Amino acid sequence: MRPTPALDVRGLRVTLPGTARPVLDGVDLTVGAGETVALVGESGSGKSIASRSALRLLPTGGVAEGEVRVAGEDVLTMDAARLRQVRAGTVAMVFQDPCAAVNPLRRIGDFLTEGVTLAGTMSPARAAARAVELLGAVGLDGSVLRKYPGQVSGGMLQRVVIAAALMGDPVLLMADEPTTALDVTSQAEVIAVLATLRERFGTGLLFVTHDLDLAAAISDRVYVMYAGRIAESGPAEALFARPRHPYTAALLASTPRMEGPRGRLAAIDGQPPDLREPLRGCAFAARCPLATEVCDERAPLPSPAPGRPDHTAACHHSDLLEGSAVDA
Amino acid sequence: MTAVLTRRPGLSRIRATGSPLHLVCLALAALVAVAAVLAPWVVPHDPNAVDLGNALAGPSAEHPLGMDAAGRDTLSRLLLGARTSLLGPLGVVVFSTVAGIAVGMAAAWRGGWLDSVLSRSTELVFAFPGMLLAILIISVHGEGLLAPVIALALAYLPYVSRLTRSLVLAERARPYVSAYRVQGHSALQICLRHVLPNIAPVVLAQSTINFGYALMDLAGLSFLGLGVPALTPDWGRMVFDGQTAIQAGYPLSAVLPCVFIVLTVVAFNVVGERWADRVSRRAR
Amino acid sequence: MPENVLEVTGLRRSFGAVRAVDEVSFTLPQGGSLGIVGESGSGKTTTARIVVGLERADEGEILVRGRPRGGPPRGRTARLARAREIQMVFQDPYLSLDPRTSVEAVLRETLGLHFPGRDHTPRVRELLDQVGLGTRAADALPRHLSGGQRQRVAIARALAVEPAVLILDEAVAALDVSVQAQILNLLADIREQTGIGFLFITHDLGVVRCVTDEIVVMRHGAVVEQGATDEVLSSPRHPYTRLLLESVPRPGWDPQAIAAARRAL
Repeated sequence: MRPTPALDVRGLRVTLPGTARPVLDGVDLTVGAGETVALVGESGSGKSIASRSALRLLPTGGVAEGEVRVAGEDVLTMDAARLRQVRAGTVAMVFQDPCAAVNPLRRIGDFLTEGVTLAGTMSPARAAARAVELLGAVGLDGSVLRKYPGQVSGGMLQRVVIAAALMGDPVLLMADEPTTALDVTSQAEVIAVLATLRERFGTGLLFVTHDLDLAAAISDRVYVMYAGRIAESGPAEALFARPRHPYTAALLASTPRMEGPRGRLAAIDGQPPDLREPLRGCAFAARCPLATEVCDERAPLPSPAPGRPDHTAACHHSDLLEGSAVDA
Repeated sequence: MTAVLTRRPGLSRIRATGSPLHLVCLALAALVAVAAVLAPWVVPHDPNAVDLGNALAGPSAEHPLGMDAAGRDTLSRLLLGARTSLLGPLGVVVFSTVAGIAVGMAAAWRGGWLDSVLSRSTELVFAFPGMLLAILIISVHGEGLLAPVIALALAYLPYVSRLTRSLVLAERARPYVSAYRVQGHSALQICLRHVLPNIAPVVLAQSTINFGYALMDLAGLSFLGLGVPALTPDWGRMVFDGQTAIQAGYPLSAVLPCVFIVLTVVAFNVVGERWADRVSRRAR
Repeated sequence: MPENVLEVTGLRRSFGAVRAVDEVSFTLPQGGSLGIVGESGSGKTTTARIVVGLERADEGEILVRGRPRGGPPRGRTARLARAREIQMVFQDPYLSLDPRTSVEAVLRETLGLHFPGRDHTPRVRELLDQVGLGTRAADALPRHLSGGQRQRVAIARALAVEPAVLILDEAVAALDVSVQAQILNLLADIREQTGIGFLFITHDLGVVRCVTDEIVVMRHGAVVEQGATDEVLSSPRHPYTRLLLESVPRPGWDPQAIAAARRAL
C-alpha cells in the first residue's frame, strides 16, 4: 500500500442555503503523496469549492459533511489552532490571477518570507535563504527579491507565487486555474516549473482547471466534475483515449484543437443544471445523447471499467461508450 | 465600488446596521415631511397671532406646547416651521445634486483641460467654508430664503461633483460604454440613458446625507438672524427668539425646535448612511 | 464592386516609447474570416480598437468597402454610418451589457437609433431567433442570463446594426468549453447566412484554426507571419509561430522544451 495520501476526500457533500441541491454531492477524491491530480470542470461544477474544502474554506453559509483528510487528519473536524497550522504549512494554494494574489506595495522578498516568519516557523535569515533557493527552483534569480510585483511579468509573478506557496514545505499544493490568466507560452513555463517541483520536493499537486487538454498533458490522474459530482476519474491517457462518461466525451469533442477536422464543433446543447432546481437522476441526463428513462430516475454511482479498477465513471451507459472512443 | 461617500466625522458614527434605529429614523423623517406638507391645515392657531397676556405660558389644553415670549403658540410655529426648515435644505440638495452631477459628469467624460478646470474650481469651493460663503452672499443679496439656499448649494456642490466624477470614471471604463460608442450612440445619450441610472443610487444616498447637514447649516444661519425673514416661522429662528426666554427660566419654546433640528438631522443621516451602505455593498 | 470589405495598411500607434502597433497591414475579403493571434502585449487588441474607432492611429489607412474610414465622426449621420461599417463583440459578457437594460430594450435601442420610425418587434424576434435566444429571454436583465446567453445578446446587438465587418475581441475566451463551442458554431452559421466579414482577435490557436480562413500572427506590435490559416498552422515559418503552436497543451506535450525555446527566442 502507498503512504498516507496528501489529500483524501470521502463522500464530501456541501450544501448552501437557498439552493435546491447540494453544490457538492458525494465527492470522492484522492491525491497521493507526490502525485499530480487534475480536477476538471466547467464553471459552476463545484471544482473550486471541492479543492478549497482541503483548507476548510467553504462558501458563506455552506455546510460540509463527509471527510476531508489532509495527510491523514480530517480538516472538517479539527480545532481552530490546528486548522491554522494546516493552512500555514501543510497545504498551500496558488490562485488564478497572480497580480491579485500579491500585495503590489510590498517587495517580492517580503511577500515570500512574511508567511513563515510571521508563523514563527523560520528565522528571517533562514527564510531569506530558503526564498532564494526556491526562486532558483522556479527559474528566477535572487534579484527578484528586491523588485515590486509591478516590475515583473505575469508569468514570472505566478512563479513567485508558486515559490511562496512552497515556503512552508507543504504536503499538498493546490493550484486553482494557475495559468488561465497567463499567455500560452508563459503557461508552458509555469507548468514546467510545477512538474519539476513535484519531482524535486515530492509535493502532492491538485491542479484545478477547465482545460481538459492541459489536465491530460500534466497529470497522472484526472477527475472530471459535473454539477457537483465526480462524473469520471482515471488515468489521464485512458480517460482521454477512451472516455467512459458521455460528458467527458462531449467535452473532448467540443474543444477546438490543433488536430482533427476543422470547421463545426460538436457542441453540447443546453446548459448545466440550475442550483435552484433539485436533481433526481443523472445531472447530465438532459444534455446526454445516450440518456434513457433510468437516467432521469436514478443517479448513477461510480463504477469501474471492466478490468481497469482505477478508471471509474458514474454513468448507466458507460458500456455503450466503450470502444466508440472520441479520437483525441 | 471605488468611490467613497463623503461623510463628516462624528455623525457618521451613528450607523444603523440592520437595527430598528434605521426604521425609527425612516419613520421620523417621513413624519416630519408629512407634517411640513400638511402644516397649514392642521395648525391649531395662527402662528403669528400675538397674545402677550399669555406670553411664556406653560403647556395647557389650549396650547399643548405652551407659548413663546411674544405670546405665539409653539406647536403651530413648530409645525409651520417644518416647512421652511425642510424646504431650504431641499432646495440646497436639489440644486447641488443636479449641478454637481452635471459638473462631475462633464469633468469625467471629457477629461483633459475641462476636467482640470472643473476639478480645481470645485476644490476652491471646498477650501472656502460654506457658512462664510452664505453669510457673504446674504450680506450682498439681503434677506430671504433664496440667497442662503444658493450659497449652501454652491458649498455642497463639490461633495456631489467629486463623487460623480469618480463614479463616472469607473463606469466609463466598463466595456458596455465602449459597446454603445461602437453602436453609434452619442456621448450625451450614453451618459443620460446608461451611465446616470447606474450611478444614481450612490449619488442620491450622498444627497440624502447632505440634506441633514444643509438643514443644520440653514438653522444655524437663521439662528444668527440671517436668511429667513423675522416673522416666518423657522426652527433656527425659533431658537434665536427663545434665547431670552431660556435665561428667564422658560426653556420650552427654544428647546423644542432644537430637539426637532437634532432629531431630523440624525434621522436623515441614518437613512442616508444606511442607503449608502446598501448600494455600495450591492454586487453587480 | 470592391473585393475586400476591410483593408488596413501601415497602421501605427505608439504609447510613449512603446510601439503598440507597428506597420500592421491586412485585408479581409467579403464574407471572409481573419484571425489576429498573439499574446498579451502583442498589439492585437489595440489594432482592433483602432479599426473599430475606440482608439486613434498615429499613421495608417483603414478602408471599408473601398472607402476610407475617417477620424472621429462629426454629427449623427457620420456616426451612424461609421457604426454600420464595423461592429464589435467584447471579451467579457458580464461587463459589456448595461446591467439595467433588458435584452429586448438593448435591441430596440439600437434598432431605434439606426432604423427610426419602424416597428421593430419582428426584427427583435428575428435577431433573438438568429442567435438562438428564445423570446422568453427577451425580458430578462443581463444578470439573469448565463455567460453564453449574454454573449448571444452582444452578438445580436452587433448584428442589429447590419455591419459589414464584425470584430470579435476574445469573444469566446471567458466562456466554458461547451458554451464556447455553441457560440463558435453560431458565429459560423451567421457568417454563412449574412456574409458579414469576421475579424477574430484571440490568443487561442484552436479557436483560430476552427473559425478562420486567414491568420495574422502578431508579436510586440508587429506582424511576424500572415497567410492562409491552414498553411501557417501546418508549416509555420517564423520561430515565434512555431513556439505558439508548440505551447498548446496536448498529450505528450513537453513544457520544459517550450520554456527553453521561449527563453531562446
